[in-house]
Amino acid sequence: MFKKFDEKESISGVLQLKSSVQKSIRSKILESYPFLDTYLEVVLPKKDAFKIVKCHDHIEIIVNSAGEQQFFRHREGQWMPTLRLLHKYPFFLPMQQVDKGAIRFVLSGANIMCPGLTSPGAQMTEVPKDTIVAIMAEGKDHALAIGKTTLSTEDIAKVNKGIGVENCHYLNDGLWQMKPIK
Amino acid sequence: MAQENKLKTGPRESVNYPVQVVYCGNCTMPIEYCEYYPEYEKCKQWLEKNLPREFEKVKIGDGSDSPAGDEEKKRQKRGGKGIIKTKKKEEGPKQVCVSRAPRGKKKSVTVVTGLSTFEIDLKVAAKFFGQRFACGSSVTGEDEIVIQGDVKDDLFDVIPEKWPEIDEDLIEDLGDQKR
Repeated sequence: MFKKFDEKESISGVLQLKSSVQKSIRSKILESYPFLDTYLEVVLPKKDAFKIVKCHDHIEIIVNSAGEQQFFRHREGQWMPTLRLLHKYPFFLPMQQVDKGAIRFVLSGANIMCPGLTSPGAQMTEVPKDTIVAIMAEGKDHALAIGKTTLSTEDIAKVNKGIGVENCHYLNDGLWQMKPIK
Repeated sequence: MAQENKLKTGPRESVNYPVQVVYCGNCTMPIEYCEYYPEYEKCKQWLEKNLPREFEKVKIGDGSDSPAGDEEKKRQKRGGKGIIKTKKKEEGPKQVCVSRAPRGKKKSVTVVTGLSTFEIDLKVAAKFFGQRFACGSSVTGEDEIVIQGDVKDDLFDVIPEKWPEIDEDLIEDLGDQKR
């Protein structure tokens, strides 16, 4: 999603949101990530008005008042956290672990293939289809990508072929390299 | 491997959130992923300089990992090599140029270029100049600031004072621009 994203070219505008809209976004995020409830106040404080950065290709990014990117989404999809946020609060997404061999492909933006999730070095937590998951790696502590499952974990284990998780955001992509927005 | 609970969702009691993650200054990724960056050597240098303790750990890790690494190299892999492309930073000469351009018959403006090679936010810089010299100042293009009024001589003192990383010798005087 952010493979060809460029900070200078891809942003079309920054807008301040109405507080009612902010409220609804907040509740939507809470709904999708129930583990975040006690920390949401820290991540997106109620008093602190956040902004939305509209980008090309129907991408929207939530930016807090300090200018840090917090969440993003594509079209009307689910809000996904950025990796920097996820590194701070790694618990609120279900995690999938890929084996060592997959890391470099994921870091160059590849989708996560089923064999990379089923091999001995890998591990899965059970999730249904179309869930936002954090991609962890064998022997590493931090997430390296955020993706959306295209199959349920059950099917991934069964089919073991093709794309299992769609790579949405990975280390060193356009969103990762984006500087704080003022 | 005892990683059953590593992947558990939900906050863990022993950890204080937010977790502080150490990022590499060279590749910006968490330091454990540096080894997948094409310019790993530079990352190591950075690590040695800034976080000697972490660097020691990496060194120890390297020693035990190297045999496995060799094996991996011998075996040919499917799907290409999967090399991450580095975004090339433009490494031009780091220099700030100041010059004076005429504006009308008897007034002039000062043009400052090259500030972004020091990774300075131009918008902030323009505002700062405007405030300092009590005049108009604006970003007029990629890496160009125009300050209204002739303040070229002052800039040689002001710029190093505001941004210590810019030495006075790095500021070049281009003189007068002719229209």
